[in-house]
Amino acid sequence: MASVTTPSTATGDPRSAQGNSANGGAVRAMRPGTLGALGLGTVLDIFSKGRLPVRADELVDQVFGPREARGAMVISGACGVVGAGKVMQFASRLLPYGVPVIALDLPGANDGVQQQFDGLVKSFGRDTANAIMNNVIRLNYDGTSLPKELERYRPKLLLEAIPEKLELKKAHYALFRNAFPGIHIWSVTSGFPSAQLGVDIAHPSFPHQINKVFEIVEARPTPHTQLLWALGLVPMKVGDHWSFVLDVFFCGLLQATLQFCRHTNTPYWKADKYIRKLIGPNPFRAHDVIGAKGANYLTWSCLHHLGEAYGPLFTPEEALTARMRSGQAWYPPDHFRPLVNWSLDAEQEQALEAIVEGALLQMTSIVLHEQRADLPTMNAIGELCAQFSNGILARARRMGPERIAHQVGAYHRLFPAAAGTTWYPDTFMNMAEGAWTQLYVNAEHNGKAGVITISRESYNDDVDAELNRAIDWLLGQGIHRVILTGDFHLATQLVGADTLAFHPALSDEREGERISLAWSRTARRLHHDFRASVGFIHGKRCMGGMLELMMHCHQLVAVEDTLLAMPEVTIPVLPGMEGCHWPFRKADAEGRKKLLRLVLEGRPVKAADASGWLVDHAGTLENAVRTAWQVMEQDAAALKPRPFAEGPVETPDAAEAGLAPVDGPLKEARAAIARCVAEACNAPVDLALTVQARHSAAFMTGSLCRKGRLGSDYDKMMKH
Amino acid sequence: MATTAASAFPDARIPYGTWGSSYFPAWQSSPLAEVNIGQFAGESMARIMSVRKVPVQHLDYLIIGSTVPWHWKFWNATLVAGCLGKRLPGFHMEQACATGLQAVVLAAAQVQGGSSDAVGVLTFDRTSDSPVGVFPERRAYRRTEVISDVWDNFGFDPSTGGSMLASAGNVARKHRIERREIDELTAYRYEQYFKGKESGFLERVAVPLDLLNVQGKPLGTIGEDTGVKRIHAGALRAMRELDSCVTSGTQTHAADGMATLLVTTAGKAKELSRRPEIAITLIAKAEVRADASCMPEAPGMAVQKLLARTGLSMADMAVVKDHNPFAVNDAVFSKTLGYDWRKMNNNGSPLVWGHPQGPTLTRVVIEALEEAVDLGGGYVLVFGCAAGDVGMAAIFKVQ
Ligand SMILES: NC(=O)c1ccc[n+]([C@@H]2O[C@H](COP(=O)([O-])OP(=O)(O)OC[C@H]3O[C@@H](n4cnc5c(N)ncnc54)[C@H](O)[C@@H]3O)[C@@H](O)[C@H]2O)c1
Repeated sequence: MASVTTPSTATGDPRSAQGNSANGGAVRAMRPGTLGALGLGTVLDIFSKGRLPVRADELVDQVFGPREARGAMVISGACGVVGAGKVMQFASRLLPYGVPVIALDLPGANDGVQQQFDGLVKSFGRDTANAIMNNVIRLNYDGTSLPKELERYRPKLLLEAIPEKLELKKAHYALFRNAFPGIHIWSVTSGFPSAQLGVDIAHPSFPHQINKVFEIVEARPTPHTQLLWALGLVPMKVGDHWSFVLDVFFCGLLQATLQFCRHTNTPYWKADKYIRKLIGPNPFRAHDVIGAKGANYLTWSCLHHLGEAYGPLFTPEEALTARMRSGQAWYPPDHFRPLVNWSLDAEQEQALEAIVEGALLQMTSIVLHEQRADLPTMNAIGELCAQFSNGILARARRMGPERIAHQVGAYHRLFPAAAGTTWYPDTFMNMAEGAWTQLYVNAEHNGKAGVITISRESYNDDVDAELNRAIDWLLGQGIHRVILTGDFHLATQLVGADTLAFHPALSDEREGERISLAWSRTARRLHHDFRASVGFIHGKRCMGGMLELMMHCHQLVAVEDTLLAMPEVTIPVLPGMEGCHWPFRKADAEGRKKLLRLVLEGRPVKAADASGWLVDHAGTLENAVRTAWQVMEQDAAALKPRPFAEGPVETPDAAEAGLAPVDGPLKEARAAIARCVAEACNAPVDLALTVQARHSAAFMTGSLCRKGRLGSDYDKMMKH
Repeated sequence: MATTAASAFPDARIPYGTWGSSYFPAWQSSPLAEVNIGQFAGESMARIMSVRKVPVQHLDYLIIGSTVPWHWKFWNATLVAGCLGKRLPGFHMEQACATGLQAVVLAAAQVQGGSSDAVGVLTFDRTSDSPVGVFPERRAYRRTEVISDVWDNFGFDPSTGGSMLASAGNVARKHRIERREIDELTAYRYEQYFKGKESGFLERVAVPLDLLNVQGKPLGTIGEDTGVKRIHAGALRAMRELDSCVTSGTQTHAADGMATLLVTTAGKAKELSRRPEIAITLIAKAEVRADASCMPEAPGMAVQKLLARTGLSMADMAVVKDHNPFAVNDAVFSKTLGYDWRKMNNNGSPLVWGHPQGPTLTRVVIEALEEAVDLGGGYVLVFGCAAGDVGMAAIFKVQ
């Protein structure tokens, strides 16, 4: 596989300029990293330089001025769905830096800001919630002239979240530019390109108070966008086109589902269930939850403009147009809860797939053709913002070009009008190459050491295959020292295995065994194939399968406040990637008791408290980054790996480990995990692989698992 | 050469196969006893049309028919259309047990008049748990009457003071019908029904429907005309007479259910039907009113009037089928028109499969048209009686 040099470009063009690592060697990568598009360099840079590329406090000074003359952030339309959420998100994140958030809205607006308070209390506690609210300054204005008072706060950044009307927005910017000439303006618009609005775009994603993603349109990287990143948010660079990326898919899916409903009479509530199973989201429920009146308008508006720009593929369905006008919700009111159930015959099931996949992939081809984002970003947007269970590109990759062409063809036969819109089959022709092969996993190296980054929060077969390719690539490049880490961008935490991957294993023990064996074998490569490997844990948490994966590295280095957990027992499932014996082989007797508690109780532990028995080192981010890099550099002072016992190791019993007794299903699940731990630890490491896989697979076909969260999620999704 | 008659509705068609009914479970015997039947009918129509591959988006008008009040009935066709998935205009009509046929005639008129291209006919009723309530009735000595809609009306014709059942006994005596013939006729009707069921005919008419409770969990399947059991002449003979020739076995039973079909322009019918080569038209209809408390003889009189007006004869009919709440109806019809009752009501009739009122005659029409298609076409006579000693008849032509 060809490699590229970084920094990357937003479009994923592999022939980009050559990047330099701290020690002067060129950084080579399987594909451009997503950080490059924001001007943030590479992940390898972070390790080799021993720090993050930018710091929040420095960027705050740059954007809002020095502390003694700090300016403010203004959010207009602050009482709306987006505005209120973003007021909370920014007020809490800017609080430590003394940047106030001015919440501006019309005098008659519903008090959306106040409604957020309960949520704040729940997430932060009353004191912090009060402090955050104190950081919000609420101003009314008449929509035509800005309040005099505003000047006093020195507005430096405006996040405009007023209604989706082009002229209204433009007049609003003129008002601000007149009053505050240097102000940086972001629009949250769902659909209008930056070129139409004349400002940069920071398009956020529902639910607005917690979703961290922003689609960013800007000519070149700005400190404003970098600040988003430094504050722990997830800006993603996208191209300047109608509806960017997210709303092509979000609105496009509703459009396709409506066409299916029109074709088969399927009621919306039921179509939602089919789409949930096929793609992941509940498009109709999502609109109702956001608020049908606003969401129907926004979806209609996006589709309407896309329709004008591209053709009838996007022209809003009549049912949407009617509901855009009326604001009517998609689900029936409570007194008309659905009475007659629904099922599809084989022909209708095919139609469902053809319409939904055909429409989405035709839309994807346009987005690809226009290079609206780099491939990993484009793929992640569906997963992070639209509840797609697999990113649209990962789906396309699994389907292959022939199947895609077949589905689009079938869709056009059912809805001939869509054939009148461009469709670029060629965009799917090179899916075995370049960034297409590494949507979730990237690898970079400087000639001596490498970094493998994972940008998906949960592990599945796609991640597994990509990780194997990344390992192969590094080895092929002669790299024998590696850090495995989250990507510092798209994945803000690593939550564990994607439980969707386990659904087939609920009724097929061999499938459970296959997953467990395959994933564990990949993980073992981190142990066997490298001279030195460091699992680097940062972000909010690292749990379950992702933690098991990391454990396979020779050493684990973690940021001290990251939470680590093996929550399998609470689902319940058995840890399937060797969590039941691998870490035990490195721990002393005391450590093994703690490990047993970790897997049997399912409770999280701070990395700082797991030092010596689970992680090898925990420190601040910079300290941890440097510690990991020392291992790569073969520094004399570098951390030494703990010895690894290849033969059987003794395990404490539950009583010795100091576990409080429990009852019911939890007790049974604990017992099953304890048996697996005992047997796997009692076997030499070679045999332990199959011991663990068998236990894990057998448990998944049992009734305890079926009655638990995994089983009931599966039932909810599959049974109609 | 066979006689032909011109249609009074030459531009209206019933597209073949774009129809269906629910099964008709006997009253209080199924989850239908617990639902808003208007909602059920709307959702079921969408479902049936889906099974028949007809997108309801083609419809531009909806005529609904029902006789037992249901919750939010004030909103009539618009409410039902909402549950069906398209915001259609339309209206509610009712004519007691003739509802299911009159609704078809009204739909044909709607198309013939040029007002609509594709009209949904949707009839339904829930006799189970019918509404109970009070009517302020200032002239009544109690000032306020407590009513139970279904049973009060079955038992009392306010204009004669008699019951429906009494009208059957009355007509049996008037036409000197014998109990023996009635039992024999009834047993034969049961045989016809079970033959139709075993042959798979019924499955082409009725669509099984799965119901959900308010939590969205399965509440049961409406997949059978529950309450219909095989019965033989011997058992019928042993039953106690409630009035002349009328026993619990020789009359129909109350049921719940819905039935639907479409009436469209010829062009739309070709577009929607899975067998566009079949053309089904409504030729004409007739109605009469018999003497007080003579309801079962009214249908025969309506047929006579209709034949006279169309110039057709019973010999021209390929299929004859009626709504026969009392076996007496068929015996009297047979006697007045000289038509062998064995030749009519193949595959089943309301005497056997029950009587949910509104949809009864719509299902009769659907079954009759299916049978005519099986026979290669011809004239189809459908008729029945209705409260108020009314008889109604209509002739369709299947080509
Ligand atoms: N709703 C979503 O999930 C979502 C998602 C992404 C982007 N957006 C975008 O966010 C923007 C706002 O959408 P929303 O759903 O929050 O709408 P909303 O109607 O909930 O909120 C709009 C707010 O703007 C206020 N307002 C109206 N005119 C104003 C003016 N001249 N100056 C200041 N405030 C004014 C209103 O009082 C209201 O509080 C739109 O551009 C939309 O495309 C919405």
